[in-house]
Amino acid sequence: MAFCTGCSLLCDDIEAEFEGGKVKRTMNLCRKGRAHYDSLSIDRLTPAVGGSEVRGEEAVTAAGELLAGAECPLLLGFGRSTLEAQKLGIELAKKLGSVIDDPTSRQGLIMERILKGEVPTCTFDDVRNYADVSIYWGDDPSSSHPRHLSRFSYFPRGEKRQRGYEEDREAIVIDVRRSPTATIAADGFFQVSPGGDAAFAEALLAALGGKIPKVEDKKRMLNLATKLRKAKFGAIFTGPGLADAQDGDLGWFFSLVARLNEFTRFSVIPSLPDYNTRGLHQSLFDVAGAVSPVSFEDGIASGPKFGVTGLLESFDAVLVVGSDPVANLPAPLARKLARIPMVAVGTHRNLTTDAASVTVPTAMAGLEAGGSALRSDGVRVDLEAQVKSDRPTDLQIVEMLMEVV
Amino acid sequence: MISIMDVYQLLPKTNCKKCGFPTCMAFAVELLGKRKAIEDCPPLVEEPKYEKKLAGLRELMAPLLSTEATETGMVIHPERCYGCGNCVVACPVNVASDPKGTAIGRGPVSGKAILMVEDGVVKCVNVDQCRRFGPEKVLCNACIVTCPSKAIEFI
Amino acid sequence: MAETEELLVVTYRGIFQEVEEALGIYSDSYREESAVLFLDGSDALGRKIEAGRPILLETSSGKVVVAAKISEEPHPGIAFMPRSPWSASLLPAEVGEGGLLQLKRFRARASPAGEAVTTIEEIGERIRVF
Repeated sequence: MAFCTGCSLLCDDIEAEFEGGKVKRTMNLCRKGRAHYDSLSIDRLTPAVGGSEVRGEEAVTAAGELLAGAECPLLLGFGRSTLEAQKLGIELAKKLGSVIDDPTSRQGLIMERILKGEVPTCTFDDVRNYADVSIYWGDDPSSSHPRHLSRFSYFPRGEKRQRGYEEDREAIVIDVRRSPTATIAADGFFQVSPGGDAAFAEALLAALGGKIPKVEDKKRMLNLATKLRKAKFGAIFTGPGLADAQDGDLGWFFSLVARLNEFTRFSVIPSLPDYNTRGLHQSLFDVAGAVSPVSFEDGIASGPKFGVTGLLESFDAVLVVGSDPVANLPAPLARKLARIPMVAVGTHRNLTTDAASVTVPTAMAGLEAGGSALRSDGVRVDLEAQVKSDRPTDLQIVEMLMEVV
Repeated sequence: MISIMDVYQLLPKTNCKKCGFPTCMAFAVELLGKRKAIEDCPPLVEEPKYEKKLAGLRELMAPLLSTEATETGMVIHPERCYGCGNCVVACPVNVASDPKGTAIGRGPVSGKAILMVEDGVVKCVNVDQCRRFGPEKVLCNACIVTCPSKAIEFI
Repeated sequence: MAETEELLVVTYRGIFQEVEEALGIYSDSYREESAVLFLDGSDALGRKIEAGRPILLETSSGKVVVAAKISEEPHPGIAFMPRSPWSASLLPAEVGEGGLLQLKRFRARASPAGEAVTTIEEIGERIRVF
């Protein structure tokens, strides 16, 4: 049995056979997980300085020089690094007096409240054993975390959920489009207009309070409210659709969660993108009391203005670890980023490594290297290597950088 | 399910009787019942003007004519499958025969599961155990309604 | 005039796009899964956009050519696009009131394109060179 690091569910029942560095046969890996495994032998990053291939050690030395010579470096990514590499990465940020940010992970605001204990949460195993209502808000795990519904949130039997999904569980999907998850929820799908999430929550709050909601289909909203009021154990899964719904103002969501908790326990688990995004949030929270971006320039400070969205021009070096911000950031920011001398550490070639001055290849965690990680719900898992690799781990690279800066 | 009208629409609709049946509709019924083959309609395979219809009919009938379908009636479209395992976990046969594996959301452990995910897509083994087959069959649709991508059908 | 009105483009993630992303972002299949825009039938008609044909999408951030697709369900005024380097080429760089980037949706002009679908190499080059 092995783990899959293809998403933040970190499935632990994987059987895989390898032959000559390639995957031969897998059991229980989903389509996305299988592609992750297959990527072992596709588009792997090679060490390079200034576009010319070099030996691995030379690339690390060049990376160290670039960072050590910078006045104001920016560290990006780390969602696809082990907890050990993340923790040392934060130490590196401290040592460099730099900023650490993960700009394409959108659920930091929710995670921060969860880590502060202000929003109730639980484990996926609790969901499987006890939840009778699962709400997916701006979240389509069928596409992004394919085994979410079958392993935990809708289909499996659990301690108090012995009768299967038809009788024992409800799936509610709130989304702007009929996603694959919404298709499964069928009658439980509530469509909102883009940015209409807060208005939906307001109508639901009214209905929960026995008032007539200001929506077209009042009866349907009142029925939903009744269902939620009668729930024994509720789980709310949030996705990028919720995080981005109201330009980062999520007060309406936290109010709704608090209100629901007056009836019964409703726990929130964000569907985080990378296999160890939760680990990064936890590691940053442990050090700074906040999640990304965190600045170590002058003591410890956090907030959106310190990261990529702030004064990108003020950074004179960038270290990207296991991420592709050049491909995912708005083009004007990507162009600014690409002009800054950049070191890209990662497993695969991408638009960021193409734009980097120095590239440093690393091993794929859970496949070629071990280490630990936190599942989306905070449960810690220990990964082991399944195949041999000459490539160093993220942790080894950060250790070498710590020595030279 | 392939509808009789979909098949009929792809036939010449001339009622020429060359197939041995009085109407194209009657031939469509035979085709769907697998008592006749597409090639038993001479105009469709011989006349170039029906080229598009022929291709369309072959595509429509492909799942019905595949070897797996002829044995079991269950057709898996691997190209659509997410490998999510919803069907694996919802299948009542799996739940009953694999309580410590698929029933609780994990990969199969008992060796008795009939649906499982191999190489990223669903696969069916020992289909004779499926509740839709055998003399006491029931119209179970657990693997169909739980699928996010219509990757399983029964024909 | 309806055809000059901007569309509200909402991004999403689809499993086959994520699969192709893992299998290599420089492949034709990744482009085919990513460089697409799902339009409402009437929106497409009003702009003389045909299913499968290339369309030009423009915002203040940039422009890209993607393949047009027509949705089965109606959603007038709204278009859906996989989150990808193509959609990132169009995202606004200005932060909202909360100080965060809006990475999920943007307004864009859409019209039939005379040129082929933008490749990922072209996107990378535009970012690095300009």
